Amino acid sequence: MDLRAGDSWGMLACLCTVLWHLPAVPALNRTGDPGPGPSIQKTYDLTRYLEHQLRSLAGTYLNYLGPPFNEPDFNPPRLGAETLPRATVNLEVWRSLNDKLRLTQNYEAYSHLLCHLRGLDRQAAAAELRRSLAHFCTSLQGLLGSIAGVMAALGYPLPQTLPGTEPAWAPGPAHSDFLQKMDDFWLLKELQTWLWRSAKDFNRLKKKMQPPAAAVTLHLGTHGF
Amino acid sequence: MAPVAVFQAAFLLAWLPLSTYQSEAVLSEPLSLSVHINSTQQSLHLKWSVHNMTHPELQMAFQIEISRMNKSNVIWVENYTTTVHQDQTLRRMWKSELPLECATHFVRIRGKEDDPRMPQRRVWSSWSSWVKADAQSWLGPDPLVFPKEKQVEEGSDVTLCYVSRHVQSHVVCTLNGIPVPGEQLDPHVFVVTLRNISFVRNTGSNFFCEEDRNHTQPGLVIFVAKVLEEPKGFSCETRDWKTLNCTWDPGSDTDSWKFPSQRNLFESFSGKNQSCEQKNWCSWQVDSQKIYNFTLLAKNVFRERRVTLLFHLAHRVHPMTPFNVALKRVSATNATMTWTVHPLGNNFTLLCQVELHGEGRVVQQHNVSTWGNGQYSFRGLAPATEYRARVRCATAQHFWKWSEWADQEFSTLQAAPSTAPDVWRSVRPTLGSCNVTLFWKPLSRSQAHGEIQFYTVATELLHTPSSSQLFPIPSPANGTELSLDGCSHQIRVTASNGAGTSPASMMVIARDLGDPWNPGNQTAEVKEGRAQGTGDGVSMSWKPPPGNVLGYVVEWCDGPQDSPCDLRWESLGPNATSTVIKSDAFRPGVQYNFRIYGISPERMAYLLERKTGYSQELAPADNPHVTVNNLTSHSFTLSWEDYATDAQPGFIRGYRVYLRSQAEQCLPGFTKAVLPDNTACCKHDIDNPEQKTFMVKNLQPESFYEFLVTPHTRAGEGPAQAFTNVITTRDQHPRVLIRILLPMVFPLLLLTILCYVKSQWIKETCYPDIPDPHKSSVLSLLKPKESPHPSIMSVRDCVPDALEVVNKAARRSLAEVERPKHDYLHLLPTGSSAGLGPGICFENLTYNQAAPDAGPCGPSPAPHPAPPGQGGLLTSPGGLLRSPSYVNSPGESPAGEAPLNYVSQVAPPTSGHKDSPPTALLELAPRSEYRTQMAVPPGLASPTPDEKSHLWAVSLLDAGGPRR
Repeated sequence: MDLRAGDSWGMLACLCTVLWHLPAVPALNRTGDPGPGPSIQKTYDLTRYLEHQLRSLAGTYLNYLGPPFNEPDFNPPRLGAETLPRATVNLEVWRSLNDKLRLTQNYEAYSHLLCHLRGLDRQAAAAELRRSLAHFCTSLQGLLGSIAGVMAALGYPLPQTLPGTEPAWAPGPAHSDFLQKMDDFWLLKELQTWLWRSAKDFNRLKKKMQPPAAAVTLHLGTHGF
Repeated sequence: MAPVAVFQAAFLLAWLPLSTYQSEAVLSEPLSLSVHINSTQQSLHLKWSVHNMTHPELQMAFQIEISRMNKSNVIWVENYTTTVHQDQTLRRMWKSELPLECATHFVRIRGKEDDPRMPQRRVWSSWSSWVKADAQSWLGPDPLVFPKEKQVEEGSDVTLCYVSRHVQSHVVCTLNGIPVPGEQLDPHVFVVTLRNISFVRNTGSNFFCEEDRNHTQPGLVIFVAKVLEEPKGFSCETRDWKTLNCTWDPGSDTDSWKFPSQRNLFESFSGKNQSCEQKNWCSWQVDSQKIYNFTLLAKNVFRERRVTLLFHLAHRVHPMTPFNVALKRVSATNATMTWTVHPLGNNFTLLCQVELHGEGRVVQQHNVSTWGNGQYSFRGLAPATEYRARVRCATAQHFWKWSEWADQEFSTLQAAPSTAPDVWRSVRPTLGSCNVTLFWKPLSRSQAHGEIQFYTVATELLHTPSSSQLFPIPSPANGTELSLDGCSHQIRVTASNGAGTSPASMMVIARDLGDPWNPGNQTAEVKEGRAQGTGDGVSMSWKPPPGNVLGYVVEWCDGPQDSPCDLRWESLGPNATSTVIKSDAFRPGVQYNFRIYGISPERMAYLLERKTGYSQELAPADNPHVTVNNLTSHSFTLSWEDYATDAQPGFIRGYRVYLRSQAEQCLPGFTKAVLPDNTACCKHDIDNPEQKTFMVKNLQPESFYEFLVTPHTRAGEGPAQAFTNVITTRDQHPRVLIRILLPMVFPLLLLTILCYVKSQWIKETCYPDIPDPHKSSVLSLLKPKESPHPSIMSVRDCVPDALEVVNKAARRSLAEVERPKHDYLHLLPTGSSAGLGPGICFENLTYNQAAPDAGPCGPSPAPHPAPPGQGGLLTSPGGLLRSPSYVNSPGESPAGEAPLNYVSQVAPPTSGHKDSPPTALLELAPRSEYRTQMAVPPGLASPTPDEKSHLWAVSLLDAGGPRR
């Protein structure tokens, strides 16, 4: 290959031009900073893992409470469980949620559920069950941290917990044992529903955050490559 | 009666005003009653006070009535007596089985002075007003189940209710998911009573109710506790004289999730009390106290259980595990163990138990008393052996418990092997030398006294000590092969380890002694026998030789006969005359050959006996191939000559011949038998294994038989294979008889019939009532002596130129017998007619009439019925002579010997003598009669001389029959 001096200068100029415009290429920008995509993926994976883990834990715990709580078609009224965050939401409302609100609701929900779950841990008499609950609480704590990381990556502030709104688990005579079992049942059920919802939330978020591969080609093409 | 009635009326009138006065004398409503509801305890707490007491202190009686739902429904009445002080508030509690929220209750009370100081005023006051106890008024809009929580002991009854503001409809309550029956107490209350409730789980039994119109599902958890058991095995001990550790067995887990049981330890001498956190043990600090009296109290909400224990501390010492266990001064046979025990005070002597374990078992056990440090010396140990020594201790004065074992492993040192190796040999002589293969068994651990490093083989020519050679063989070899000059050597084998050399194992080999591989020795002369299998081995015995023996060796190949010999041997003492050879390689159904050698005082081995045997005999795997020979109508022979008796998985003891046929009875020599498939057949046992043929006899001809020949060993007979079919042949004797008898019977029968039909004629002819001399054959026999031709005229003597007709009377007298017989019409040829061939016969019509009835004894005078010109005339090609003639009778004999037949003779012109056979013979049928005469072609009528003689003989035979 025979390169002339004039050609070399031309190529150098071209290269410099390209390098000058590189920061303006959004797709290439992402290659340096992975952004919240991996975090969302990890959060999604953790959600699925917790979903799987809860299936086993809930079965054991509901058997521990005894029938009718471990019966598949048991659907008691949500009497004492009104303080639990509801995962069920209208589909249209759910679709209309923006990312920030979606993540905030997840974070708040798991904060509350984690607190209630620790109360459950304190009540359980069986040592093996206590170990399983403690392990699950640790995992759930990890999910909270993961959600917080995604929110931070997207530049959303963490929701502020107002004094007095922090749910406090208080053992005492306020609840009868039956209602307490009912609350435990609802806690596990709500937790399961929230994990289903979170998996959908993070899946939606993940897809939203992934740029289409064709866009990179298009941007590169506009810069004369 | 009247005075009595008047008295009674007067008494009543006097008493009634008095009683009214007395009741009014007490307070009309002296008690102020209040009722308090305790829902948790399901109790009503009553409080009342007595007004206007006549005395500051008075003993009073009270009566309390409690009604449920309405005042008239009294469910409880209680009488209560107590001493009442002025202005005192009295209290009473009543517990309800039914939760108080389930129904409204009403309470009232009355009282009376019951003081012995005032007997005259014992009259009940009036009832107080009903006080209503209504817990339902607290209920909210949602239905609820009461009580809110419940704890009961297993086996109790529990009453629960579902209460609502609205009128209930179709209430269903479930306990642990199972519906339970209940009843509607009123439209707002549904009551359920659970009887004999049982423990299900620590988290309690879940009870809840629901109804069609309301889905709130209120419920409660019933915590059921099992009946608290008394602690078992309560015991306390100290290990360090500082802490007492008390343990017990709490029994089954009775605790419910919410109301666990508790345990307390109380010592009565010191008065100390201690709560125990653990369910089955508790610790107690020891001080100067020596004697303890403990009470263990276990309790839950329902029960308390107590056990006590009194002991002296010195009697409850459980020493701690000894430590610093060590082995010192370890040699090949001795070792000393030392240990240390934890101090327990000056007054304690410990008893320590020392054990020595070797090869998984206790080999030594000793007891040692010690104060602090202990030691013991083990003696008589095996060299180069691993041991484990251990020790444990207990208090010597007041034994309570052994401490745990403390142990230490060690090994003794090596020593020289104690036993000479067990050596055997095989000798294979070659030209000028001898190949000797030596085998030896590795020494056991108890014999080797250490790891064997090498073996030494020393060979020496007999009677030449200077020819010794040494062959060191490194371990772990178990044999070697030597090529020696000549076959007379002395061989010594020793084993050596790190500590020394074993005694030598010595043997002498010589060419002329019994050796299985050496031809021409005693091998062919030794006795052969069978050995008995024992399942896992082979048992055999032998006859000891007359001389001295140092021992015996049994040698065999540890594999089937057709595989390479894996030589094995077993050495036995001089007194042994039998042994059981066992080997893991022995397989059932495989034949093994054993050779028994005697070891002479010169240490030479010579073959004594051979044995053959199986460790376990099996039933034959195959049946012999049987061929059927000599098949006849009544027997056949079975043969299995090619069956190899020696190649079977057991000693063949004989054969069994099974035979099946359509006959129900077995053949002679056979017995009935049932085959494994439950079919019946006959069997015959052959006890001689060498008999390989068998003849089945007494069979039916043309019959179907099936047979099976199977060998049998001690283990059983051969496989039940398919039978072979045989069909016997047809019987030959009846056919032969039929062939002989039938030809005899038919002629006899025919002759008999003929004789019967002609019986009259025969009688008249042969033996008439009036004999006729002309018909007598006697005369014909006598006549030849007078005249050789009395009745037949010679043709040669006559010239037939005239025809004479003679009238013949039907009957002649005897006097006319001598007359020449001219009863015949003779037409005799002239000399010129010599060229004529066959004669021409014409029927003599004179005799035709009698011909049918004519017999050989004489003609019948009846005329022939046929006309003369129609007498079956045959025309000769050579010319015709139209004259009646007669054929020659079969008994054409010389003229003088002619029988009584009337014969028309035609003399052939070429023949001058009647004896010479005519060229054309006209022959009559047997038992000839006068018949239609015919011309016969010369070719047909000239038999060969042989045929002629044969026919002659037959004619004689036939003709002679009826004459007899």
